[in-house]
Order: sequence, then structure tokens, then C-alpha cells
Amino acid sequence: MKRALPVLALTIAGLVPVWRYAPSLGTAHTAEAAPPASAPSSSSSPGSSSGSASSGSSSSGSSTQAVAGSSEPIALGGFTAGTLRVEVTFEGEKMTAVKLLEQPPPSPQTTEAVPKLIEQTLQAQSADIDTVSGATITSGAYKKSLQAALDAQGA
Amino acid sequence: MRRVEHVMGFPVSLRIDDEEVPAALADEVYAWLREVDERFSPFKPDSEVSRLDRGEIGPGEVSADLAEVLDLCEEYRLATGGAFDARRPGEGFDPCAVVKGWSVQRAADLLTAAGVRRFCLNAGGDVVVAGGPWRVGIRHPEHADQLCAVLEITDGAVATSGRYERGDHIVDGRTGRPATGLLSVTVVAATLTEADTAATAAFAMGAEGVAWAAGREGCEVFAVDAERRVLRTERVPVA
Repeated sequence: MKRALPVLALTIAGLVPVWRYAPSLGTAHTAEAAPPASAPSSSSSPGSSSGSASSGSSSSGSSTQAVAGSSEPIALGGFTAGTLRVEVTFEGEKMTAVKLLEQPPPSPQTTEAVPKLIEQTLQAQSADIDTVSGATITSGAYKKSLQAALDAQGA
Repeated sequence: MRRVEHVMGFPVSLRIDDEEVPAALADEVYAWLREVDERFSPFKPDSEVSRLDRGEIGPGEVSADLAEVLDLCEEYRLATGGAFDARRPGEGFDPCAVVKGWSVQRAADLLTAAGVRRFCLNAGGDVVVAGGPWRVGIRHPEHADQLCAVLEITDGAVATSGRYERGDHIVDGRTGRPATGLLSVTVVAATLTEADTAATAAFAMGAEGVAWAAGREGCEVFAVDAERRVLRTERVPVA
């Protein structure tokens, strides 16, 4: 008979830095999921229980049990990173499903930065260079081009 | 070692500074570019691109190389909201804008794979360098014999789009009209595949293309708009 172990919904603090990972963050956290200790012993009776630790409610007809962990915001490097709540389903000792219940709002690090453009006046210059980038030149126009002069220099 | 040959209608200048260069290497580079011209030119009736366009081969029957080019065309079409489009109403499929950067980057990869450390490959104004520093001038959009900036690049690619050489050949696919919002736009990126296609796509978008290209990962931009203002990203490697 299939033994459906209870389900635990956790606030997984360690996952938040992973979720919000940005190379500049420079902090490393190790996720340490709590064992389903608060879960009721598994039931082998038909219609096993289901519920949430935070609400304690249960309903029949489901083979899973949800136990919500605390949802306190996680402080990360001096700012609040928000709350990530997931529901983890165990069958036996195997984790079979992870469901996202609540996710933190997007942070500056996960939002694409709008590039800052610098405005300047157009200048004309000549300088010592190795090569020229320009709109695709035709073979005909090449003869009189700067690049042709550079190619001839080194030939 | 320096060599210049004309392929696909533009000059391709190759400079290799390594002392020992495999004898046939430069030949291989130019042979590859001529092969690309035969296979991907929409102006050659027997090319794979022309046969695809006439429906003689299906989209599922193309070579792996052409499949890669088709994927790139689609990627940039979607990324630009249709401003960059290799398929235009009333005209045949023309992937030239993607093929150029892609094939010249492949040529540069041939050099790198052969162990060449310091080279500069310039295909009609689109540049791939390795083992720098290299000083890469950006042609002034209004004065052919002058520059508007000098970049210093160690390894990477620089591509410029404009209409001062070939006229109004870049069309905004959203309107069907020639793109005129910029005088020129230069993109610096890790590969010429990205630099060239992003520059062409930004040019097709017009003024808004500058911010679009600047927002692409790994791209630095130096543009001159129709009012002769320079707009550039902070980290474009100005020498």
C-alpha cells in the first residue's frame, strides 16, 4: 500500500538567497530544510489527513498534509529579502513535489537594470589606430578608405 | 602576416601577428567565407537560401548551419518587435545581416582553434580581434577619412551599422520604410554574431535602438543620432 507521508510547507530561508541570487551579493547560505518533525504520523487509513500547521485545519479526501512553516521575512545582509514559502510533498523519504505558495517581490538584483546612456557632442578626429569599424563598405569604396591605407601600411 | 581579399562584395582584411602561422590557415579563412557566399547568398540562384526561398527545400531540410542562421534571424526579429526582419513582404528571404557577423565570427574561431593568439580580422568594417590591446577606430558617419571615437579592445568584436556607405539598405520591418533615426550605431560584444546583428537591429529600430542594444547582455554601444548627438554606454571601451 502506498504510504503517503505528510506534506510540509516550509519557509525555506536558505532558498531565498538562491532565489534572489546575484553574483554581487557575495553571501552564501546553506539551505537546511527542517525535517517534517511537526507532521503527524502518517496515516494508513483511507483518506489521510491534510492540513496546515499554521491553520491546523485539515480536510479529508486528500492524501497529503500541508504544514506551513513560519513566514517571517528573512533579513539578508541588512535588508529584508522577503518570504518564500513552498509546500513540499514527501512520499516515504522521497520529496515528490515542491509547490510555490508565496514568493518575494522582485528585488533590484533580479530586475533588469536600465542602462545609463551618456550624451556627448560628435567629434571628428584622426588618431593612430590598427583598424576601422564602419558601415559595411563596398569593394569599390575600399580603395580610398582608411582601412585600405592601414592595410597598405603593414604590407 | 597581412592579407586582403574581397568576398561577398566587401574587403576582408586579415592581420596575424603571431610569428608562426600554419601556412594554409589564411587560405582556410577565405575559403570558408567564399563557401558561405555560395551557400547563403540570396543573390545566387543555386544557394541553399535561394532554394529554401523557392520552396525547393523545406525548413526542416536545411543544413545545420542554415538552421542556426534561421534561428538567429527569428531570435532578433522577436527581440526587436519585428524591426529586424529577414523576411519582408514582396521581397525574398534575405538573411545577409545575420550571415555576415555569424560567418566572420566562425572564421575568427578557425584562427583561435588553430592556436593563433594575436589577430585582427576586419570584414568590410566589422571587426573581430584577439590578443590585444587593439585600437579600433569608429568611422565618422559624415567624414570618411575621420574617426568619431577610438576603442581599445583586447578580445572581442566591434560592428557598425549606418547608411553612409550603401544608402538606405536597412529597413524598419515594422513600417517597411528605411531606418533613418540614427547616423550610425556601433556595438561592442564578445562575438561578431552578436555585435553585428545587434548593430543592424538597433539601426533598424532607429533612435530607440540605442537603449535596446545597450540593454542587451554583454553589449556596449556608441551611437550617433540624426541630430549628430553621441549616445554611448558608460562602459564602452573608449581609448
